[in-house]
Amino acid sequence: MDTKNVLVIGAGLSGLTCSVKLAENGNNVRLFSPSPSERSQSVMAMGGINAALNNKGQDDSTSQHYTDTINGGQEINNHKAVKKLTDDAPEIIEWLDSIGTSFTRDENGNIDQRYFGGQKKQRTAYAGARTGKQVLTAINTMLRKYEHENLVKRYIGWRFLSLILNDMSECVGAVLINEFTEEIQSFEADCVVIATGGMNKVFGKISGSLQNDAGTTARLLQQEIQLANLEMIQFHPTTIKTPVKSMLITEAARGEGGRLYTIKDGEKWYFMEEWYPELGALMPRDVVSRSIYKVCNQLNLGINGENIVYLDVSFLPEETVKVKLDEVYEVCTQYLNLDPTVDPIPVYPGIHYFMGGILTDDAHKTSIKNLYAIGECSAQYHGANRLGGNSLLGAIHGGYIAAEEINRQTVTSSNNNEIIRKELEKQMEKYAQWKDNQTSEYTSSYTVEEELASIMNNAMGIYRDEETLREAMGQLEQLENEKIYSHESYYEYVLIKSLIHLSKAFLISAINRKESRGAHQRIEYPEKSDKYRKTTVIQEKNNEMIVSFNDTDEKMGW
Amino acid sequence: METLKITILTQENGEEVIKEYEYTGNLNIPVTTLLEKVNHGNNTKIHYSSSCLQGLCGSCAMLINGWPKLACKTFVNEEVMTKYFHKITIEPLSKFPVIKDLIIDRSKIYENMKEAQQWLDEKAKINPEHIPFEYEVSQCLMCGCCLESCPNYNGEDNFMGVVLPVSSSKITAQETSDEKLKLHKQIHKKHFYNGCVKSLVCQDVCPMEIPTQRAISQMNYKSVWHLFHLFNRQEK
Ligand SMILES: Cc1cc2nc3c(=O)[nH]c(=O)nc-3n(C[C@H](O)[C@H](O)[C@H](O)COP(=O)(O)OP(=O)(O)OC[C@H]3O[C@@H](n4cnc5c(N)ncnc54)[C@H](O)[C@@H]3O)c2cc1C
Ligand code: SF4
Ligand code: SF4
Ligand code: FES
Repeated sequence: MDTKNVLVIGAGLSGLTCSVKLAENGNNVRLFSPSPSERSQSVMAMGGINAALNNKGQDDSTSQHYTDTINGGQEINNHKAVKKLTDDAPEIIEWLDSIGTSFTRDENGNIDQRYFGGQKKQRTAYAGARTGKQVLTAINTMLRKYEHENLVKRYIGWRFLSLILNDMSECVGAVLINEFTEEIQSFEADCVVIATGGMNKVFGKISGSLQNDAGTTARLLQQEIQLANLEMIQFHPTTIKTPVKSMLITEAARGEGGRLYTIKDGEKWYFMEEWYPELGALMPRDVVSRSIYKVCNQLNLGINGENIVYLDVSFLPEETVKVKLDEVYEVCTQYLNLDPTVDPIPVYPGIHYFMGGILTDDAHKTSIKNLYAIGECSAQYHGANRLGGNSLLGAIHGGYIAAEEINRQTVTSSNNNEIIRKELEKQMEKYAQWKDNQTSEYTSSYTVEEELASIMNNAMGIYRDEETLREAMGQLEQLENEKIYSHESYYEYVLIKSLIHLSKAFLISAINRKESRGAHQRIEYPEKSDKYRKTTVIQEKNNEMIVSFNDTDEKMGW
Repeated sequence: METLKITILTQENGEEVIKEYEYTGNLNIPVTTLLEKVNHGNNTKIHYSSSCLQGLCGSCAMLINGWPKLACKTFVNEEVMTKYFHKITIEPLSKFPVIKDLIIDRSKIYENMKEAQQWLDEKAKINPEHIPFEYEVSQCLMCGCCLESCPNYNGEDNFMGVVLPVSSSKITAQETSDEKLKLHKQIHKKHFYNGCVKSLVCQDVCPMEIPTQRAISQMNYKSVWHLFHLFNRQEK
């Protein structure tokens, strides 16, 4: 087997796993990220990771995990990919355990598993209240060995600028930029793996990491790589607005008995319990989110006329709130100045996860040869709605699969020096142009960022309609013509420009899916339609964005 | 409304740079949000590093009125009003090279962890009883607050600071290769034991409240005292 020279871009759980698995087989990896892995969004995941270990004697099975995932995703998941994902899940947990993850154990010493939304079995393994961090520490420790052996070389401070493509539109490397020194460098490679996480920045300060700037996905779109299901954005039903950003109040708050209410005719109205007597506030995420929306926007019953309902845990034993829900207690007291053992928490649904992203097939291949995508930046496992606990799993699994595929691939050596030199030159020229043409008289990038987020949040809410989406398109076109001042930061400039572009792709995808399915709800088309039991694929060609609806399991053919 | 005086002390090309700003507005905000407001309000860019904004990632560790802290968890009101008379000084951690403004280069920590071979050679040995402690040390953010406040860490000599026993206390509990365990003991002696004066500051400043003293004593026991005991027994 030939050893390959691979660039992995992004060092969260997916990028780390892929790097470890590639190095295990003797490949050479260069791993890029703006900052060390401890800073990635993966460390923020608390709830857990799914696998049908069947540790609870509930007759759980990988086929049930499969069915739940497809049902959750409303059938537009890549079915073959989900099959592998759910079949491999127990082995992944075993691996994580064997490399030293401190999973929480039950009284028999087995890995404990808990209930999570949309699944009838106790299937979610967890490590205390910090599953993502604990898993990441273990994989990161493992990777250190390969760094020491010089199989993996890390580049900290670097962000993606462009792919290097040969005449046949095959990927032969990438150009990256050091955000702080503004050094621009080209890197040749046999394969490139994109692992840059969710497209957070398009929507401003959402629950996830600020580092996930969507810039890689945005520039891949400009290089004609296909993206998928951009309209599928998960809203977490209970987020709080703090002066800092939008933060999550975990599902566990409702799991422990927390109730949702608003005030109607001067009295508390527990709308979820009235509408869904059986599960109440513990209905699946999309249902709870839509119900809160309905209360505030259709019934106009938001607290004080605002987009707020109350999540009440104050009646629970103080011990439950302070110990079992310590994270909730801490976030509320620190960032809201509110004591949840006394007062109800003002919540509203907020953007939390991107099911859509870079289109891949079940082998994590993208539409460009030698280019792979894994983790939250890629789209294949989650369809129209992701189940809690499936994204950590998907991120790690993606790393496994991409590494396996790359091992299997044969490399054809060719001389790409000329192509690489040209691409680097092109990027340097753009940089020089920018450098000569910056003045603080232009509109501040901060203003543009804020406007962009506001346009996108308004148009891509829980319910969408064509008129608002088209209006937003118009606003984006205006924003596109704005001259931007980016405070002496070239990367900032490239980023914001490309994000406006990517935002259009979100809107166009949403306009074209004329049905309501999972996270995509259209006011004019309230029903699900079989015609759209497909993947929304968007691609830019000659400055035009083309949408098609493809078979969910389509192979990339390379 | 009250006005806050902000001083940013940093370096550029080896020289000290002082930037001063004023801010009037809601003071019930953490320092990261303050920096953002200063940037937006002055159409400028003070570079600082942040990611999670809720104390989970360690990006934003910096010196705030002289103390190493996570800026996203340090609220301006508490810090400034009570003790510092409406003044706040923000600096990068001083024991690491400055990359830009408040962004520092922590690669020394990572180099040290590699040099100290902080990984498992064999499959992890899991003892359910050890898990709570192993969980706590796995929370380490590599933020550097402990190193900043340690009287003996200087980033230059052999002494690697408390991040070493925080990591190796877990690794030595899970490792099964005898040879590797022996090596870890030697590494501990060389890169930690002889340098630590047990001032306990590291435990006080650690934003994750990691029991650094327990990690230290476990490693000391495994690497040094354990040998003394053996030695003493043989003497008798
Ligand atoms: C608060 C919260 C709680 C969550 N809880 C759970 C849970 O309980 N269970 C679950 O399964 N999932 C959960 N998730 C989702 C889960 O954390 C993520 O989907 C998953 O960690 C993604 O991993 P990743 O490797 O794809 O990306 P990330 O961990 O986001 O890493 C992305 C990497 O790419 C780098 N990067 C970003 N932009 C660029 C660029 N332009 N150029 C180069 N590098 C770049 C980043 O620095 C980082 O290294 C949660 C998410 C949040 C926000
Ligand atoms: S206890 Fe040791 S490692 Fe910790 S601060 Fe004191 S000298 Fe440094
Ligand atoms: S031990 Fe604590 S202070 Fe030191 S790097 Fe780890 S988290 Fe930071
Ligand atoms: S930004 Fe993550 S700890 Fe402060």
